[in-house]
Amino acid sequence: MSDSLQLLILFVILAIIAIAIFVVIALSTGRPSGESSEPPGGYVIRRRWFLVLILVLFACFFTTIPFVPYETAAMALQPALRVPVVAHQYFFDMPSHLPLNRRIMFEVTSDDVNHGFAIYGPRDHLIAQTQAMPDYVNYLAVTFHRPGKYKVRCLEFCGPGHFAMDKAFTVGGAP
Amino acid sequence: MSDEPLESTTSGRRVMKLYVYSGLIIVALMMLAGITMRAEQAGWASGVSAGLFYALLTLHGAGMIVGLLLCGMGALWYLMCRHIHMSAPLAALACILQVVGVIGIVIATLFGGFAALYTFLDPLPYHGTWPDWSTGLFLISMGLVCAGWVIWSLQMLGGVMRAYGGLRGAMGWDFVFFHKSFTAAGRHPPPPEAFPALLSGIDGIIAGMAGMVLMVALIVRWLDPRVKIDPLWAKNLTYFFGHTIANVIIYMLAATIYVGIPYAAGRKYHTSIVLAIAWWTSTTLTMTNYFHHMYMDFAQPHAMSFFGEWSSYMSSLPVVVVTVFSALMIVWRSRTRWGLGAIFMYSGMVGWVVGGIAAEIDATIPFNTHLHNTLWVPAHFHTYLLGGCLLFAVGWVFLLLESRSRRRTSMFFRWVICTLVFGGMAVFLAGFYAAGAMGVPRRYAGYIFTGMPIGQLFAQIATIGAAVMIIGFILLFIEGLWLRLHRLTAMPSSPQPLVESIS
Repeated sequence: MSDSLQLLILFVILAIIAIAIFVVIALSTGRPSGESSEPPGGYVIRRRWFLVLILVLFACFFTTIPFVPYETAAMALQPALRVPVVAHQYFFDMPSHLPLNRRIMFEVTSDDVNHGFAIYGPRDHLIAQTQAMPDYVNYLAVTFHRPGKYKVRCLEFCGPGHFAMDKAFTVGGAP
Repeated sequence: MSDEPLESTTSGRRVMKLYVYSGLIIVALMMLAGITMRAEQAGWASGVSAGLFYALLTLHGAGMIVGLLLCGMGALWYLMCRHIHMSAPLAALACILQVVGVIGIVIATLFGGFAALYTFLDPLPYHGTWPDWSTGLFLISMGLVCAGWVIWSLQMLGGVMRAYGGLRGAMGWDFVFFHKSFTAAGRHPPPPEAFPALLSGIDGIIAGMAGMVLMVALIVRWLDPRVKIDPLWAKNLTYFFGHTIANVIIYMLAATIYVGIPYAAGRKYHTSIVLAIAWWTSTTLTMTNYFHHMYMDFAQPHAMSFFGEWSSYMSSLPVVVVTVFSALMIVWRSRTRWGLGAIFMYSGMVGWVVGGIAAEIDATIPFNTHLHNTLWVPAHFHTYLLGGCLLFAVGWVFLLLESRSRRRTSMFFRWVICTLVFGGMAVFLAGFYAAGAMGVPRRYAGYIFTGMPIGQLFAQIATIGAAVMIIGFILLFIEGLWLRLHRLTAMPSSPQPLVESIS
């Protein structure tokens, strides 16, 4: 299962829990308490809810930091095959074949407007991306562990031909 | 029964009608543009070329934001006119500027073919196939929208500060830090809806001015192509302006929760220390969490991305710990009468929270790698703009109509409307979420020829959902007209509190 499908499942579970809470509270109005103000016990729950939520957010923040796609200065100096990528309206200027199991540093820029540089794997799942901007170079490190046909798609709107802007390339085997 | 009537001053009522009716008309027209695009992606509108598709997308995005902004401005104006004095002619001027801006956007996109999207990231506006005049017209029109927004925000901030003793009083500073002496002196903090008014004023002025700076820079570049703009600087300004405007819309309409939900529940929403601190937090973080739009711009200093992630997380706390939680406490075992107004306002909170969950997932940097600029993005913002803000606006209008007509829609008709609107909306949004999780890109004028047939399948599902939802909204509109007509013929005098009127 791809990472993004796992995110969808996480979202669906959380959304169902949230909707269920709203439904239960709406249904509670069928047996009113007769009080003219909100239940005082609610504030105790609110305090605990705040603490739980802030702990969860702290945990999410710190546990996901190791997986960010940014290069530290030390990582950027590691050996890698440097692959320049120049995006144009509406094509990518880049190699059509890349090696397997080798660290590749894509040096992504644009010749005209903002573009996206998104790599889709053989099963058409989005595996990595960065923006292609004029006047700037974005460095994206990727190591391909699976041979096959890959595709780069533009994910930043760049003009009326945006939806047709892609580039196929192969990984592994003979070029 | 609530002590606080829903009524405002005559000028407050007039200004609200001008804003909310203009906003809802724009929103309805933009919905038609939206479903046309989804039908094109579904392969059911072959007459729509790629150029027209992107012109419609530009119009839809810019128009929908302005439409909902007008709804929020009108509703908040109405609420605050119950407490403070503001100039109705200036409010009308601000509204007219924005409506003229929308008309300019319509001409630039539909007649000029301008299609650099509502984000108009520099330098795309100057690299298109559209005529030069449409670029200029679009930018000037957006400048008018910004000007109207800033005029409104200045008035709102000035009014709130004048009424509650400057910024210190409006923030509830003494109420929070010198609580005992404050209450012992018999002083009262501002009402809950004054805090979103303060946020809207402060953040609206800052983001609106940033938007105007951006527009001026882009217009200068349009007039003289030799002028170069740094694309990263322009991108930061664009997202600061765009993200803040979208957030301020939510907070403006969230103010109706503080009045509408207690009114329907027959209970009262009090200003508390926690509420004041929550709104200070929101006022600050609304302006800093836009960095999450730029996670994939690796040239941006990484610290800004981490700060954006943390800021996005923290901005959820005031919503789910204070505003929504308190509203749920008020509804819990209350005598809430579920007219369409209360149903839509309550459901709007569901959309706000669910859309917020999706937004927080997307605001996590490693997850954003898989979701950035896929259909997950429109999924989450449609959830809280369509399923949140629009429902707040419609719910608010119906609360007023029900209050003044002393009528409530029949149980059968409520079920029909809610089933169509919420059922259609759920299907429409599910099409976005599922496709986004599969990596289907957003802003594609068709999926079949781009090797992503799954995108077309989800577009077909979403189009059916959107059509059902629109039928529901049409029935809702007819019901609103009926309630309005009844008010005119049977209730020309002062309104009655909702809880009594519908019992």
